Amino acid sequence: MIQSRRNFLRALPAITAGAALAPAPAIASAAGKEDGRHRWAMVVDVQKCIGCQACTVSCIMENAVPENSFRTIVSTYEVHDDKRTNTYMLPRLCNHCANPPCIPVCPVGATFQRKDGVVVVDGDRCVGCAYCVQACPYDARFINHETGKADKCTFCAHRVDAGLLPACVETCVGGARIFGDLNDPGSKVRHLVDQNKMKVLKPEMGTQPHVFYLGLDERFQGHVEGAGTLWQPSGHGG
Amino acid sequence: MDSQIIEVLNVTRGVAWLPWAVSYFFLIGLSYGSFMLTLPYFVFGRAQHEKLGRLALLGALVCGLTAPVALLADLHGPGRFLNFYLHFQPQSWMSWGSFFIPIYLAGLLLYAWLALRGDFAVRGQGGTSLLARLYRLAGRGGEAPRMAIAAAALLALAGAVLVALYTGMEVMVVHARPLWNTPFLPAQFAATAFAGAIGLALLFNRFIGGRDSELEIGLNRLLVLALALVLTLGGGWLFVSLSGVSPSHSAAFSQVAGMPQWQLTAVWTALATIVPMALATWRPASSGLITGLIAVHSAWMMRWTIFIGGQSIPKTGAGLYDYHLPLGNDGLLGIVGTLGLWIALLVLMLEYLPWAGQAVAAGNEKATNALAANAIASH
Repeated sequence: MIQSRRNFLRALPAITAGAALAPAPAIASAAGKEDGRHRWAMVVDVQKCIGCQACTVSCIMENAVPENSFRTIVSTYEVHDDKRTNTYMLPRLCNHCANPPCIPVCPVGATFQRKDGVVVVDGDRCVGCAYCVQACPYDARFINHETGKADKCTFCAHRVDAGLLPACVETCVGGARIFGDLNDPGSKVRHLVDQNKMKVLKPEMGTQPHVFYLGLDERFQGHVEGAGTLWQPSGHGG
Repeated sequence: MDSQIIEVLNVTRGVAWLPWAVSYFFLIGLSYGSFMLTLPYFVFGRAQHEKLGRLALLGALVCGLTAPVALLADLHGPGRFLNFYLHFQPQSWMSWGSFFIPIYLAGLLLYAWLALRGDFAVRGQGGTSLLARLYRLAGRGGEAPRMAIAAAALLALAGAVLVALYTGMEVMVVHARPLWNTPFLPAQFAATAFAGAIGLALLFNRFIGGRDSELEIGLNRLLVLALALVLTLGGGWLFVSLSGVSPSHSAAFSQVAGMPQWQLTAVWTALATIVPMALATWRPASSGLITGLIAVHSAWMMRWTIFIGGQSIPKTGAGLYDYHLPLGNDGLLGIVGTLGLWIALLVLMLEYLPWAGQAVAAGNEKATNALAANAIASH
């Protein structure tokens, strides 16, 4: 059963890649390129997020993320303001910072930033010391309990290099996640960043995140002051 | 506007620096602290500190040799340590640490060998067994020149200072965790390491060293000073946090101040510092067992609180992450296993290392004489 599930997971990237070959014009010019011409970034339009977790699931499927671990998740909050109660959704992922604090701490140079801004981990070199996990201000990294090595969102670099959108963007129901090249003046991401007052998470950390939030409530910009989560995964925390 | 936020769904990040890391920081701290206690006798030749020097050398060795095993276990694959030496990263404190640890341990082992060389030679006298020949080999040249011991001590001292520096800095530079990101932390690690080493020496004196009451009094007095330093540093952190001088300290304080489990930890820490201080002052000749135990416990607890407690504070989410000590390798079994290795090494050293010098020979002679006297009496 487990084996068949694993095989299924292994086959998924190929299936999704095949399915997504046609509709990816936004970054089709990126196919096979990682030469510094691009600077990949994401805009998250918080008001469009419906908290369906399709991004969470597609990321797990695409990247074979182990059980109870997450490269991205939509944090969901219940907010009581006076007599009104609302639900607030905040998609979280690696911010692919311009000044990533996870890189200088790595004792073996396993985590690095590609020329196109994507922060990745060289799994062959990573020793699983988890120093980068500590250094990330966004809790975006974790130790993969199957490999014993650092794991994180890669903006689906394997897909982007093939001219495809990241899995989370591809599956976003509300169109809340917009991905593209900041260096391309004609890209939607560039346009959104130029035309709107964007926010980033924990700007005071000086990390210069490249995941920008549109319509982000300041109460959720840093450490959220509120009652703790009602649900926690069992077994390996991730 | 009155507002309340309840987190309904979020990811829980489990601790990434496991209890193995706590064991490593605890043991390496006790080791370099114990090493410092050996210097008055072996390097400066103060004969009145012989027993302290020998007991502390035992502590430095047994803790120093156990510590890296716990550190390797934290890598989820011991062979991975090779990458530290294949891909040096000068901007990473942990990378530097991978070089400082061998410097310290090589210095410590060289120092211990030179310090005990004369005792090895004495142990190897007369016998023809393999062990006696090994003792003679280790003791070749007899008592080492003072300068050679001092040179080895200097190497170990440099290693000890570098280990103390890197273990503190490695944690201090993590801006993402306000609780860790304080210049007080390296000093707090070092101060609690010394207090723990003094505690370990008190316990060794009680169980191995024949309960020398003069040594107990001296160690208790030293413990009061070390704990006073621990209190001063803790008070300094509290002052900086409450006064608003440093926003990052205030942020760290406000993250935990309102939480009952952290309030309990604060009270416990204060008591675990003040109670042994009071006992060591009030009953310096008889409180060694309890003050020693509390001092060792405090050194462990400080590291546990910093690492496990620190990692239970979400960086972005609300509330606290729950931590339950797992029973397996990454939890209780790991801690017990490290303790087991520590005890095994201690037993081996007590049996085969001439750590007590002539005292052991004298002890053996006394025992032999007693046996002979008994034999004569029975005839």
